[in-house]
Amino acid sequence: MPHVHPQHTTLRDPSKLFYQTEYNRRLIIASYWVILIAAIPIWWHTTSIQRLSLPTSRVHSQAGKQLRFPVEITLENIRDVSLSAALQQLIHERIGGSGLEVRVRNQDNAHSVESYTVSAHNDIAFASQRHLMYPVRSATLPILADTLSTLLVPLTNSHHVAHYSPRYRLAFTLLNEDAAAGQAITSWDISGAISHHLLPILDSLSALHNFTIESQVQYHAPLAFSPISLLDGAGFGLTPEDLTVFINSAEWTLSSSVSNDPVLHFIAFIPSASRRPLQILNSQGRPSSSYTFLLPQWGGIVVYNPPPELQESTHFPPSALNSVFSTFATQLLTLLGVADVPAGVKTDSSVLTGWQLDALLRRRALENSAEAQETLRSIVKIVDQIENMPVGQDVRGDVQNSLTALDQMYTSASTSLNDTLHQSADALSLASRAFFNPGMLALLYFPAEHKYAVYMPLFASAVIPLIATAAREIRAWRRQRREVQGVQQ
Amino acid sequence: MHVSVSLLLFLFSWAWGIAASHEEMVGDFFKHGAPSGSTSNHTNNWAVLVCSSRYWFNYRHMANALGMYRTVKRLGIPDSNIILMLADDAACNARNKFPGSVYANPGRGLDLYGDNIEVDYRGYEVTVENLLRVLTGRMEPSVPRSKRLLTDAHSNIFVYMTGHGGNEFLKFQDNEEISAFDIADAFEQMWQKKRYNEIFFMIDTCQANTMYSKFYSPNILATGSSKIDQSSYSYENDADIGVSVIDRYTHYVLEYMERINKTSHHTMADLFASYDPVKIHSEPGVRTDLFSRPLNEVRITDFLGGVAHVEVGSGVVAAAARKTWTPEDPPSYSETPRVEQQPPRRENETRAQGMQAQIDGWRDARAWGGVLLLGALVGFVGWK
Repeated sequence: MPHVHPQHTTLRDPSKLFYQTEYNRRLIIASYWVILIAAIPIWWHTTSIQRLSLPTSRVHSQAGKQLRFPVEITLENIRDVSLSAALQQLIHERIGGSGLEVRVRNQDNAHSVESYTVSAHNDIAFASQRHLMYPVRSATLPILADTLSTLLVPLTNSHHVAHYSPRYRLAFTLLNEDAAAGQAITSWDISGAISHHLLPILDSLSALHNFTIESQVQYHAPLAFSPISLLDGAGFGLTPEDLTVFINSAEWTLSSSVSNDPVLHFIAFIPSASRRPLQILNSQGRPSSSYTFLLPQWGGIVVYNPPPELQESTHFPPSALNSVFSTFATQLLTLLGVADVPAGVKTDSSVLTGWQLDALLRRRALENSAEAQETLRSIVKIVDQIENMPVGQDVRGDVQNSLTALDQMYTSASTSLNDTLHQSADALSLASRAFFNPGMLALLYFPAEHKYAVYMPLFASAVIPLIATAAREIRAWRRQRREVQGVQQ
Repeated sequence: MHVSVSLLLFLFSWAWGIAASHEEMVGDFFKHGAPSGSTSNHTNNWAVLVCSSRYWFNYRHMANALGMYRTVKRLGIPDSNIILMLADDAACNARNKFPGSVYANPGRGLDLYGDNIEVDYRGYEVTVENLLRVLTGRMEPSVPRSKRLLTDAHSNIFVYMTGHGGNEFLKFQDNEEISAFDIADAFEQMWQKKRYNEIFFMIDTCQANTMYSKFYSPNILATGSSKIDQSSYSYENDADIGVSVIDRYTHYVLEYMERINKTSHHTMADLFASYDPVKIHSEPGVRTDLFSRPLNEVRITDFLGGVAHVEVGSGVVAAAARKTWTPEDPPSYSETPRVEQQPPRRENETRAQGMQAQIDGWRDARAWGGVLLLGALVGFVGWK
């Protein structure tokens, strides 16, 4: 039997399919559009960057403010009452623009505890704590004004001073250039030297910084160059040029890297027995009397030549260690920005005077507050400038707290220097933390082509059929409506 | 029909927004950057050395970075002040016939890998994000000291980058790209936070000079191996290693640096004068408009060296030591003063900026073309 075809081929009319009924088809197309439109807010939310607004106006109003410290100087035992007004005038001429409001009073006036005192003495000038003895006469008044100005606002070389940090690490290293050559210094009484020479200083600076101390002894620390040999066997010399490359950082390990605190290095360098005495030459090439030098913001170095009668390796001679550490102490003070008292004024040399400490506190507070203000301004500026930089809640919080600390600082400037410094340091560390917030890394810059290239293959292929079908459907609907209207008419 | 028209309008306005903000940014980049006058008063030097390539066939890029690393270390920058970003898959690659060594010359005279290499960001840590974090200082608190750029307002920074790049981008390990805008923004953020005194930027890649064209922060001196639409080429193959061992530009820079020691007085002008486009096979560029000091007073060791100032004794200021140094014997190759190359370079610079405007116009046109094409497509399918 041949195969019999059915009578009617039942190819179904597409328009009779249930999903091709007009109503269902339009429903399906509309549902695509509903999903697409409903997804737009989610897409927007997930691709946009969180940029909270920063207290911009507060930051800008901070910029105009300057920290001002009221300073009161009381004259004691001085008969000529008219001197105080003249002295105040002279001091004002000298340091008027430095943020200090100096007032000079006579003793009979109300006496506050924080005030500095100046008392008359016949011939010596002596500073102790917040007191100055001085031969006060009307003839010496300008010199006294100079001295007081220098005590209140000392001139320091800011190039040498390390950047303020609430914590420092001090790394002491005894470096033997070559212990194998004999006559090396193999040990030193470091804890004794530190407690004798440095602890008093560190204690008096405890209001400013916390210190961590580490020390080490090394037996082989070659120089990266050969010191020149001096004529007539007078030893060896380091030229000023050599000093700049003295630190052989490629081969010396001078400090551990356990923390991110800034490190100040102090090195006692013992030249190899075959290169003694090692001297520092001046620019004319002649040996200078100095055996120490300072690398600004980095640390200090002392070259110590052991006495030639030394036969074998030994302990650091205590007297030499004393002089080495008193040098380290001076270098530490320079690096931390402690100014010397003016020439001609004597002090009890073992401790810092209140004058020096206060001047440092004021200086650091001024530096910190200026830097905090500047950092805050930079944050606002950069966030403004780089459009896809995220600004999260923690950044905004840090900026606000920093501003609050700055506000508090202005009010406490007249009452307590320690509080002022701490608030300025807080303001700076908060502002820096806001600036360095890891979340603030701007998204990478993508040119417009990149965006098209990413979005086109994704969306164009999906959107074009959608738009096209929607357009066709709408046209069909409108035609139908016109036909219906035509029929009705 | 109304719906599709409004959709088209929406698409147009979207594209317009992107094009407009793009144009604005480009405009901004040239507005800033008035250099603030300063002599070199840095107290410390830092180096950021980036090799953005990986895989054996990019051996030469690793050699480039290691060659620079060796040079800055030799000239006195301590390892603690060097951030080295290196894929580091060349020295111990299975295809390396000389395990544990990287050579930069065909004779294999000098092992750059040596015994004292400190790679701070290795392998897959070499990313655009990490580089930007190093530069801007935006790190998690747990990141160790050795991976941080702990610079301050007294730091001079040498930034060296090498890899495969193109117009305004540098490719990172076949994964991602850093654009000239990203680096420019990072430098601006560093400037705002006073994280540098001066920057010396050097880049060896194809079309390298486009990478520094977007900088706008002051006190940046920049140089690159080749101008726009020019490739940078490798220098030489080593038959035993089997791949190119170094790029031409870096090779000649390093060769020049070999004549320099820690106390040399050679200046940047000398270095730039030593560029020979015939030997390098591309035209190296220099950008000085952001830099405030004359190049013939800028020592190479201001960036690639160690300490600049020393004070002898207590209280006796000898900070001027650098001025009183006795000059060395003039080296033979500096007999011909070639500083007069500077003026034509400035011309090149302005020409480059004009070209930039042209390129931007072309980009806009292309963006609009894309939008039109899209519109036409939608229209065509819709009417069919």
